[in-house]
Amino acid sequence: MAAFLGGSAAATGRFFFPNVIYEPSQKFNAGPVKSYDVGVSTRWLNEQRVWIIRTDKGIYAMWARCTHLGCTPSWFDDQGRFRCPCHGSNFNQGGDVIAGPAPRPLWRAKVELAATGDLIVDKAILEDLPGKRDNPPFFISLNA
Amino acid sequence: MPETATPPQQNGGGFKLPDFDTLKKEVIDSQIWRSMFRGGVWKDTPRDRAAHIIGNVWLHLHPVKVRPRALHWTYTWGLGGISFMLFLILTVTGVLLMFYYRPTVDLAYRDMKDLEFAVTLGVLMRNMHRWAAQAMVVFVILHMVRVFLTGAYKKPREFNWGIGVILLTLTLFLSFTGYLLPWDQLAIWAVTVGTNMAGATPFLGNEGPFGALMGMRINNDVRFTLLGGTMVGENTLIRFYVLHCVAVPLITGILLIVHFWRVRKDSFSAAPIDPAEEKVDVWPNLVGREYIAAAGCLLAIMIWSILMNAPLEIVANPNVTPNPSKAPWYFVGLQELLVYFDPWIAGVVMPNLIIVGLMAIPYIDTNPKGIGFYSLKERPFANAMFLLGVAMWFILIYIGYYCRGPNFAWFNPWESWLNQKPAMPPTWNIFGPLEGAVPFTFKMAADIVGGRLGGLEPGVVPNLMPGWLGAIVLGGMGGFLMIGPKLIQKDIPGKTANLAFIGAMAVVAVLGKIFAGLPVMQGLWLVFFAWTGFYFGFLLPQRHIRQLEWPRYLFTMFLVLNTVAVPLKMGARLAFNVKYVLTFPTISLNI
Ligand code: HEM
Ligand code: FES
Repeated sequence: MAAFLGGSAAATGRFFFPNVIYEPSQKFNAGPVKSYDVGVSTRWLNEQRVWIIRTDKGIYAMWARCTHLGCTPSWFDDQGRFRCPCHGSNFNQGGDVIAGPAPRPLWRAKVELAATGDLIVDKAILEDLPGKRDNPPFFISLNA
Repeated sequence: MPETATPPQQNGGGFKLPDFDTLKKEVIDSQIWRSMFRGGVWKDTPRDRAAHIIGNVWLHLHPVKVRPRALHWTYTWGLGGISFMLFLILTVTGVLLMFYYRPTVDLAYRDMKDLEFAVTLGVLMRNMHRWAAQAMVVFVILHMVRVFLTGAYKKPREFNWGIGVILLTLTLFLSFTGYLLPWDQLAIWAVTVGTNMAGATPFLGNEGPFGALMGMRINNDVRFTLLGGTMVGENTLIRFYVLHCVAVPLITGILLIVHFWRVRKDSFSAAPIDPAEEKVDVWPNLVGREYIAAAGCLLAIMIWSILMNAPLEIVANPNVTPNPSKAPWYFVGLQELLVYFDPWIAGVVMPNLIIVGLMAIPYIDTNPKGIGFYSLKERPFANAMFLLGVAMWFILIYIGYYCRGPNFAWFNPWESWLNQKPAMPPTWNIFGPLEGAVPFTFKMAADIVGGRLGGLEPGVVPNLMPGWLGAIVLGGMGGFLMIGPKLIQKDIPGKTANLAFIGAMAVVAVLGKIFAGLPVMQGLWLVFFAWTGFYFGFLLPQRHIRQLEWPRYLFTMFLVLNTVAVPLKMGARLAFNVKYVLTFPTISLNI
């Protein structure tokens, strides 16, 4: 009896986990690397939810999803900060938390340089640890 | 000729219009009517009145007679009845909206626009549904407050109070699931934030403490089941639609029936005016009042819906969040709480503690006094703690709603959102790991406390003292606060203790000013928040509940301390930029 009820409950629970989901691809072509100037680019924010950030050392892609509860922060050039509209987390350009409730740095996405010189971003592979995130495949060194 | 004197006959004189009373009698005596409504000719005798209640499937949840006190508007304020009327309005308007609304990502928003601009009376139905939903949240909360203040949850009504707490939760859950359906920017972002909290559940969420340990990933945790995917999308919409339109209303309806049945079976709480008073007939005394309240309620919702349109933002964009992004007002308190506490605390532990705590109230409040009338004096502790909780909830809502502007930065209500606010000062932790953090010096402590934190490496959050020390200090303090009030046998004199405590905190603030340059305003905040904690967390329990036996006492103290911890942490953040009091980042334990 208990086994039957438990089994039914578990089976019903399993029913709520879809086996196939139809969600957009996480990989996209962000255009020629050359087209990015030093600074934070919001070119892909609306379509891909990613900032492309060019520093004098290289380029990386940051997933525009607040690590608190998943809102999209806005970039403020004058303050050099990302600020989140939902609970007020502040991040610096590298993605580290300065203030507010976010528990960890923003995620960086995997980046590759295609043969054409285009930047390929894959949001399925993420990293946020200092050290790891500043090396390939999450960072591409370029000369300024 | 005498004929000319007769008055002219209507309709050529053959047929006479029957007067209303005859007509009514004919209809009521017809076989059709008699088969539908039980009972004989209405003579308005007590027996007739009783039969009207007993013989009607809808009304028979009422007793036949009630105490006159229960009829006073100022006892119930009709709050439960109005909540139910709003539930009925929501059911009817909701079903009507379902005739036009299609729950898919491509169509949902367009259907909302059609309802607003292309469907005759569509906008009225939408407005009524929206405003009645908001009103229902208000009235259910008010009803709960009324039940609490009249002590109506005490024996034998403990169980019905519990049902009520579940009904409150379901009311909020209905609002939450319904909020996604318009598929506009407000909808998708409120639900994104709301469901991400589920992802922070300990053990069961991929971002929660011990989640990774349990093998939780973004595509197999509780959030995934709620969303039917890894992001708020097509699957989420249909899930919320089914929950909102079928599952939750059904469960709510069933519980409402149980609720009403228990109200009657437990006999209504209103204390008699004089013990020997006679009961009066429910029909028409009570039912008549119910009809008046229901009609007034419907009228108010209609007028409101004609005057004001329900908001609809631009269509949902899963990549860009509106700035600022705010939850519907009844959840803004929770949103504000999330500013101060980690998601698994504010979004999972606290709501569950509130629900469990509310349900536990009738079982831990053993004070037999004050049932069936409003009495602040006979139940000082229960009333003070409950009203503190309700007040805190609405203060949080007030802050979130009126004091938060773009980037969720603090703006006073009179300040324009167009003025850029200076960037927020960096935050720091009191206890935490010292490796990699800024080493502790007296000067740094003074700078941090005095709000002069600057020149640090970006992204480095300084921890003032080591985590192990924090665990000992907080554990010791918690332990003392839990049992201290019961161990002190004599009543602490209230006034003296208050003054002494405020004086001591004032001395601390002055010392802080002299040695660390603590600004005056922060000194005042320190005194205020510390006193709040002292008064509600120590003095009141010491004076009022130390006589409880241990299990009840400990559980009550646990709830009390959790409640007062909230304003303390808020004060620490708002006045002193403290991010965490104690943090162990490796196991995501941040308090
Ligand atoms: C969907 C929401 C609810 C509806 C429609 C509802 C409806 C009602 C109605 C019509 C009554 C009769 C007396 C009155 O109007 O005050 C009542 C009584 C009562 N309700 Fe509710 N209620 C709801 C939620 C709650 C909640 C949230 C609580 C408490 C947590 C609660 C606890 C009680 C108790 C204990 C009584 C008995 C009061 C007495 O005997 O004086 N109810 N409810
Ligand atoms: S989601 Fe960004 S601060 Fe909460």
